[in-house]
Formats: sequence, structure tokens, C-alpha cells
Amino acid sequence: MKKTLLAGASAGLLVAAASAAHAQSIDYGSLEQLFNEPVTTSATGAPQRSTEAPVDMTIISAADIERSGAVDLPTILSRIAGLDVTTWGAGAADVSVRGYNQAMSPRLLVLINGRQVYLDHYGYTAWATLPVQLSEIRQIEVVKGPNSALFGFNAVSGVVNIITANPKFDQTGDITVRGGSARYGEVSLAKSFKLGERFSARFSAGAAKSDEFDNTVGVAKSQQNEPSRVSANLDTVTQLTDKAELRIEGSYSNVQVSDMLSNYAYSPSKYLTGSLKGTLTAETQVGQLQFSAYQNDLTAKHVILGQQARFENKITVVSAQDLFKIGAKHTIRLGGEYRHNEVNTAPIGGAEVSYDVLSASAMWNWAITDKLAFTAAGRYDSLDLSREGAFPAGSPPLGNGYWDRKIEEPSWNLGLVWRATDADTFKASAARGVQVPTLVDLGALQARVSVGPYTLGLAGNPTLEPAIVTNYQLTYERALPALKAQVSAKAFVQKTEDVKGQPTSAQIDVAPTPVSLPVLSYRNIGESKMTGFELAASGEFEAGFRWNADWTHTEVDDEPLAGFSPVLRSAAFGATTPENRGNVALGWTGGPWTADAFVTLVGDHQAYALYAVGANPRLVDIDAYAAIGGRVARTFEGDVTVALSGQNLGDSRQRQSAGLEVERRLYLSVSKRF
Amino acid sequence: MSKKKPVVALAATLLAVAPFSAHADAAKDVQIAGRALTFLENGPTGKAVLGVVFDPSKPASVAEKNAVMAAIGGGLNTGTLTLTAKPVEAGAVSGVGGVAALYVTTGVNAAPVGAAAKAKKIITIGSDASCAASGACVMSVSADPKVEIIVNRGAAAAVGAVFKSAFRMMIREV
Repeated sequence: MKKTLLAGASAGLLVAAASAAHAQSIDYGSLEQLFNEPVTTSATGAPQRSTEAPVDMTIISAADIERSGAVDLPTILSRIAGLDVTTWGAGAADVSVRGYNQAMSPRLLVLINGRQVYLDHYGYTAWATLPVQLSEIRQIEVVKGPNSALFGFNAVSGVVNIITANPKFDQTGDITVRGGSARYGEVSLAKSFKLGERFSARFSAGAAKSDEFDNTVGVAKSQQNEPSRVSANLDTVTQLTDKAELRIEGSYSNVQVSDMLSNYAYSPSKYLTGSLKGTLTAETQVGQLQFSAYQNDLTAKHVILGQQARFENKITVVSAQDLFKIGAKHTIRLGGEYRHNEVNTAPIGGAEVSYDVLSASAMWNWAITDKLAFTAAGRYDSLDLSREGAFPAGSPPLGNGYWDRKIEEPSWNLGLVWRATDADTFKASAARGVQVPTLVDLGALQARVSVGPYTLGLAGNPTLEPAIVTNYQLTYERALPALKAQVSAKAFVQKTEDVKGQPTSAQIDVAPTPVSLPVLSYRNIGESKMTGFELAASGEFEAGFRWNADWTHTEVDDEPLAGFSPVLRSAAFGATTPENRGNVALGWTGGPWTADAFVTLVGDHQAYALYAVGANPRLVDIDAYAAIGGRVARTFEGDVTVALSGQNLGDSRQRQSAGLEVERRLYLSVSKRF
Repeated sequence: MSKKKPVVALAATLLAVAPFSAHADAAKDVQIAGRALTFLENGPTGKAVLGVVFDPSKPASVAEKNAVMAAIGGGLNTGTLTLTAKPVEAGAVSGVGGVAALYVTTGVNAAPVGAAAKAKKIITIGSDASCAASGACVMSVSADPKVEIIVNRGAAAAVGAVFKSAFRMMIREV
């Protein structure tokens, strides 16, 4: 269903504008219509047809998003082969690729138009904070496996790059009003416009609120928030000359949710985000040059171990790249990036931890023959860590100089694509990704906690090593035009070295001294290996029917270092990763009517029990479940669509984790395109 | 796992079904040709005329010309470009005027057509891959079973055709 959608499928949502201006940014719509398949830049940085990308990629189209009936991104992602989504509340979820999911999952890099929107103080994505309306998304590009060589640190289990409509090329106009069960209410607007021949813009804004899931698992009221969000975004493109353009994007979001913290305690979290990004692109004699700079500002308020914690995080990223072709066979991308990331310590303040990263990267794509292409990409990151400020009483006798540390790591991606016949494609890929410790891991977490009669310190660990993820994959894809279908089979192996373990009161990490408390901290606890395979098929029937099905099997084996327990360190991925998950979907479009049904199956697995003061982390059983969703819609004259949709339709309440049980929710939407 | 066998069986069944052989579709090919023209630097916009080159002695060429003319009809919208068409006999290319590009049907002796077009700095597009591979045409296009576009860099340079960089990175160049 996903990447094989014909170009026309999304044309109804995002109408390619007739622009005579010379294109510097990628005109996804025109290229998609030309090649009759989605195009992407998320694999190598160069534009590519999705079927020829040398990585494992799924593209979710605008039409897929609309037909999903979903009101949030995690629900949409849960229907992608191999993605694991754990829903903690009506506004909070964590997403991972092929296992390793956890509360505040740090292994997935999430971006909007290339700007990271995962929260960099702790490396996770609070999905409700993303300042994007579903109606303005052109496509969501999901890369499975490490892609650090292009995107840098933390693109280790995968990348989700959300591509919005480009106001220069795409005319967007949508207003949606939605109501639903549990007092759900939402309004969203996205509209593009032009001022003269050279200036284009798109404005979007939205707000939503609902009741939290019923509290059937004994979560204290003080640990929850009724989920609500408000966001706005402005995206402008100015054609400076015939060969140069400037894109300015600014965003804002204000969100509250019931978060699941990494120690599996709920937190009534609040987020305030803001961003400003500028991208200058020019077509020159030496290739397509792109200069980009952005800043993300975040205020995140949590309740950690009963203490108010307020993180002020600011990241600044400046990058440059040149993309060019040498002769007929070789495409090259050269890039450089500078990044500054800073955050205060919390819950106990008084200090700031920061780092600067310098990166150099290169990509080479070689069309060896008409049928065979090879891609090599590499990146080298050099991170300088530092700390400024005071230490709380009872801290180990360390000075700020203990934080003066450098982390230098290479990343790489290799890919071979062989189009053996018009119908058969084989791909082989290898990758090394780097999951750098977050600022919280490295020292921004600073707390004191009472365990029984004892007082312990809780602190980050500036000596923590990055987790290194290596991944190897073989893919076979076959088109079956006679059946209007395609099938694929994939096999993969992955190893994670220096897995990060969480602090646990079961193990003292820094012994007390006469002047300092015993300290609990983050530690590298060993390795974890994963093997698996994925089978997928999709297609269309006569009379407007479409279908897709997939099944992903993974086996995760944790291999801790002596003296460490993955269970106690909240990193028992072998137990918490379901061995099997899959999806089945059937849809139909006839005239003004559209109907879709989705079933997501998740096998038996274990999950962490909710945090309890003084108790060690422990696992509980989660039975296999099927999450059923669906949507029925009718479009009327004037491009007005009325849709009834629902999620978790099979049960009024379903246990998918040890947290709040996921409720059945129904929505009625009225959308008008203009 | 109980689900394994049915899934494997389904996959095996699907894999056993051979894909149908490709059939050239003139309407789809000319649509691709028109869209490809929009990725030219300083290329045609608005309304443009596509000359459809055919060999009247070759039934297949004539049939393709007829199919292309029918597909374009009163005007074919390909994004920023609306194409109309006029038939051009292969022997008359050196005298052709008022066309944005020439669409060379299969069966036409492409070499002299290409040479005549280069002399007049007109872009040539073939529906046969060999037309661009040989250098007679600037570009070859085919829509089925998968969109394939080949650009001959030498032929493109000869007529002064420069394609946008994103386009160049997604097609085959020879």
C-alpha cells in the first residue's frame, strides 16, 4: 500500500502547482508524477526513486495518512511493517524499529523537513509536540536500520523524516474539525498562498484535547495530565534568483501529556517548543549547494521521582552540503555540520551541560551498470562535552573538568541495489550507527532520592560510551503487475554494543565517600543482538480495492557484562521486544466513498511494571493483542469530506503495556479543502 | 508460530506468478516525455508543439505516430507544459519548424533524424532506448513496466539541453 502508491493517489490532496520558476528544492510532486512512484532524499541526501534507495525505506503518502483515520503520528507508524509502538496515554507513545522500544525511546531520529524534532536533552520524541498538521504532510519517509552517515548521531534504529508540502510547489488548503469520544476535540488548518511570482508560504495551526485514558492501573492523579496540544507553523520560500532560493520555517507548540519516563513512572509533563530554520539552496557550476541553520528551543517540565524538573534545552545546527554529479555514473554529496546542544541540570539546578559537535560527511553513488548501483556514505563526528556551574551537596568530589571529554565516532552506510529484471530487485546493505549519550545521561540529571532510610544521589555519567549499532540486511522485492501487487522478503542481523542501562536503586554506581552520597547513574551494560526477517505484500484488486499485509519476526538476545542485569537496568530488550508483529489492511474507494480497515497484531512479550518507590524494576507479561482501526468517509461537492474513524475498535479497553490501558476511541471529522 | 505457514505459502504463490511481459504504451510514453521536458533548464512552458517523427513506410512507426497523436489530441497537460502535436515525416525533419521537441517513433532511422535535429538544436525523444543509447536522440523514455529515462549527454550538449540536477540524479545518463 505504502510506497507503491501511484503518483495520482496523493494528487488529490496536494496539487502540484504550475510554477515556471527554476527548481532548487526538490519538487516531490513533479518527480513523483514523472516516475510514477514516491521520491526521497532520506536515503543518501540525493533525490532517488523509492524503489532504488539503497536503504530499507517505507514511504507513507498523504493519501495513506488521510485514509488511516488516525489523529496522531504514532498510530500511523504502528501500521508500518517492523515498527513497534507502545502507547502510554491518549497523547503519549514511543516508537521504535524492530524492537528495543522503551519509555522515552532514544534510538529513533525524527525530523520534519530535515530538522530534528526529537527532543535532544534526552533523545526521545514527544510526538504530540511535533508542530505539523496531518493534512500538510506530503509523505513520511521511514528508514529502518542505522542511517547515521547521513543524519548523524542517534539515527541508529531508524529515521522518520516527515516531509511537508512545499509552498513553492504544492497548493495546500485544508480545514478540519474533529470531535470524538472521551471529549476529543480538534481543529486544524493548513493553507498555502503566493505573493507575487517569487514568494510562497504555507501557514498551519491546530489544537486538540481529550480526556486521558481511564486510570485502571492505579496511577496517581498527580502523575497525569489531560492531553492537549496547540501548534503553529509558517513555511516560506523566496526565489532569490533564477537559481537560488531561501526557505524559512518557524514553528511553535505548547503541549501537555501524561508521559512515561524512562524509569517507567508517569509524569504530568508539559512542553513548550519553538524553532526557526533557514535554508539557502543554489544551483551552481559546482553542484547544488545548500546552507542550512536552525535553532530549536525547548522547555520541558517533568515530575521526576516526585520532584519538579524543568529542562531548558537549546540546540543550534549549522550545516552545508554540495550535491553534484561527476560524469554519467557518479553522484557525490559532501557535507559539514556544526551543532551546539545545551541544557540545565534538573531537578537540582545550578549547572549546565553542553556539547559541540563538528561533523564531516560524504556520499558516493555509483551506477555501475544499468542494473547495478553501489552507494557508500561515511560521516565522522567529533563531540566536545563540557559542564559549567555548581555541584549539589553530597556529590562526588569531581570538578567541572571531569566533563571535558571528547567523543569521536565514524558512521557509515553501504548499499548495493541490483535490478536483476524489470520485476526483481535485490538489495544488500551494511551500516554502522552511533547512539551518543544524551545530555541527561551525561550529567544533566541531578537529583537526590530516598530509598528506605538511605539518601542516594542520582546523576548522569560523563564517561558513558556511545552505543554502536551495526546492521546487515538482505532484501528481495518482486513486482507482480499481473496481480497489481508487489511482495518483498528481508532478512537482517543487528548488534548493539555498549547498551545504555538506566540507573537502578538495586546497584550503586559510585561508592560513597565521607563527603559524598552513593550515586546511581547510567552505565554501559554490554551487548544486545537481534536477528529477524520481514515479509510484506501489497496490491490492488479490481473495483477499487487495495490491501497490504506484513509480518516481522525478531529475536533479541541481551548479553550483559558481568555484574549487570538488563532487567534491573531497564534494558531487557530480549524480553520486552515482541518476537512477532504484523499488519493486515483492506481498503476500498468507490465514487465519493472510501472505507479502510487496519489490524495490527503484536505477539506476546514482557513489559516493565510501573515504577514503585523502593522496588526493583521488574517485568510483567503482556498477552498478544490485535489493535483494530478503521475509517469510512464520503466526499461531497465542494471538496467537503465527512469521515467516521476509530482506533482500538476491538476492545473498549486493551492492555498493550503495564501502563494505562488503551481505550477504544471514535472520531467524526469534517474537512474542507480549498 | 501458527501464522508462519500460511504466510510462507502466500509468499510462495505470489512469487510463482510471473510478471506479464511489457507492452509499449504510446500514450504513457508521451506523457513521460512531456513531463521530462519540464525538467529542462530554460525549457518550454505553457503551450508547446511536439513533432512526432514517423516513417510512412514502416507500419509500426505509423501506428505509434497515430497512437501518440491520439493521446495528445487537442492538448496534453504534463504539469507546466501543455503539448500539442504535429506529425513530421522522417525525411522532413531538416525543414521542420515551430516545434519544442521531436518525438521519434520506433522504427524510424534515428541517425539521420538525430543529425538533422542537432543541426536545428531541437531536442529529440525516442520511445526506443537504443535511440538515446546510440546518441541519435537526446532522451529515450518508456513508461512500462517501470518508468525509464535515458539521456545521452553528448546529444544533449549538442543541442544545448541542460537538465535540472535533481532530474539528472534520478535517470540514466550515457
